[in-house]
Amino acid sequence: MKKTVLLTLVIGIMTVFSANAQKKAMDKFMVQVDGLGCPFCAYGLEKKFKEFKGIKAVKIDIETGDFSFKYPAEKALSMQDVEKQVEKAGYTPVSSKIERADGTIEESKGLSETKVAEGKLTSKSLMVAGNCGMCEARIVKAAKSVQGVSEASWNKDTKMMRVGFDATMTALLDIEKAISDSGHDTKNHQTDDATYNALPACCHYDRISQ
Amino acid sequence: MKLLFISIGLFFITSCKEKEELPKKWVFVETIEVKGVNPIGIANVDGQLWLSDGDHNRLVQIDKGGKIMKTIDSLERPMHIDALGKTLYVPEYGKDAIEMIDENGRTVLQMKDSLDAPAGVSVYKKEKAIADFYNNRIIYFDGRNWIAFGKEGKAKGYFYYPTDVQITEDKIWVADAYNNRVQVFDKNGKFLQMMGQDQKMNAATGIFVSDSEVFITDFENDRVLIFDKEGNLKQELSKNIEKATDLIIQDGKLKIINYRNGKINVFNQVAIEPNQADMKK
Repeated sequence: MKKTVLLTLVIGIMTVFSANAQKKAMDKFMVQVDGLGCPFCAYGLEKKFKEFKGIKAVKIDIETGDFSFKYPAEKALSMQDVEKQVEKAGYTPVSSKIERADGTIEESKGLSETKVAEGKLTSKSLMVAGNCGMCEARIVKAAKSVQGVSEASWNKDTKMMRVGFDATMTALLDIEKAISDSGHDTKNHQTDDATYNALPACCHYDRISQ
Repeated sequence: MKLLFISIGLFFITSCKEKEELPKKWVFVETIEVKGVNPIGIANVDGQLWLSDGDHNRLVQIDKGGKIMKTIDSLERPMHIDALGKTLYVPEYGKDAIEMIDENGRTVLQMKDSLDAPAGVSVYKKEKAIADFYNNRIIYFDGRNWIAFGKEGKAKGYFYYPTDVQITEDKIWVADAYNNRVQVFDKNGKFLQMMGQDQKMNAATGIFVSDSEVFITDFENDRVLIFDKEGNLKQELSKNIEKATDLIIQDGKLKIINYRNGKINVFNQVAIEPNQADMKK
């Protein structure tokens, strides 16, 4: 009788511990973000992330761009979901890594630039509206996401972008379209109001009238 | 006798001319390096300078050479701080609270209204004002009652993410950061004037108001603009200024903090001859 009671007690304790362990199982997300110049926006985005139900240990290092948080493993948050959410919050993710609670690791290295042979490279300048370092990261990433673009840079003071691409693979208008989809007006493409309004405060530039 | 009166008259005229105040401008004196700190706010507590180090969730007290003498940890993104007597007032952006810190410990300012990312606080006698960043408003306590004014927008009296505030004897001055301007209100929250809206600022983040001047940091453009109380631009400072977030006058010296590199640039006010009045930089 004594043995049965003891066994029941041990099984009971183990069940509680196991349930707690499962409850506490968290995936760890590490995202490298670019363009964190303005503390007001960066801290704000960190704050907004903290409001997601179940999220823990939200931390952003402004100097290194290391953004990390923990999220319940049972939610099985995907890399794509995380990057989308990070972008939605205004950050520009460069690379991401997930350490799953079960020990598996997932990594995303970000964009791989198109390599264009020297003779085929077309260089163009265009005006892109934006304000700050966060804008710069977003604009450059949007341009480089277009197949055929090998180089892109943007100057926040002059608002001018320099872009190098293979004209047999893409055209300047396509690049402008990708940039405007990311939230930034160009001469030929204006971003929609909803995308513009979703940008962080420091990125709210003066709109280019078409 | 007539000659005596003329001489006395001339004497008084000359004396008055000698006492006539020459225009003044701020000139760069030195840079103080504060290692490992990314300051956002600056306050003077009983002659000691305190900085809020937002990136590292702490306050630090520094000596004249920039050496850290004391640290207060466990804060959540402390922003534009202020002080009254020996008490520090700390807006915690990540915690939606204002903490009061003195020798006796730490207490949270009790208020009925809830904040969403307080970015700046000002204390003046029994009065308090808070720049409530995400709510796009200023919350003001006149010593007896709290009022709130402003909402999101670009028109007069509206805000687009206010980051700092200062109370003076009869006014409330607001760094209306992403409207790129300063707005001034009476103590009932009534809009009085704005300044800097035509200066192409890019994030007007920190404000300091002296007896005769209004100083505002232009964060992205790496400069500080100085206006008279009517809103006329008097001077622009840019030497060694990089991502400036706040400023203060201590013992007659203007101290401007750089967020990114942790440097404090010090300026002195000197008299200038009217014909030398190149007020830039």
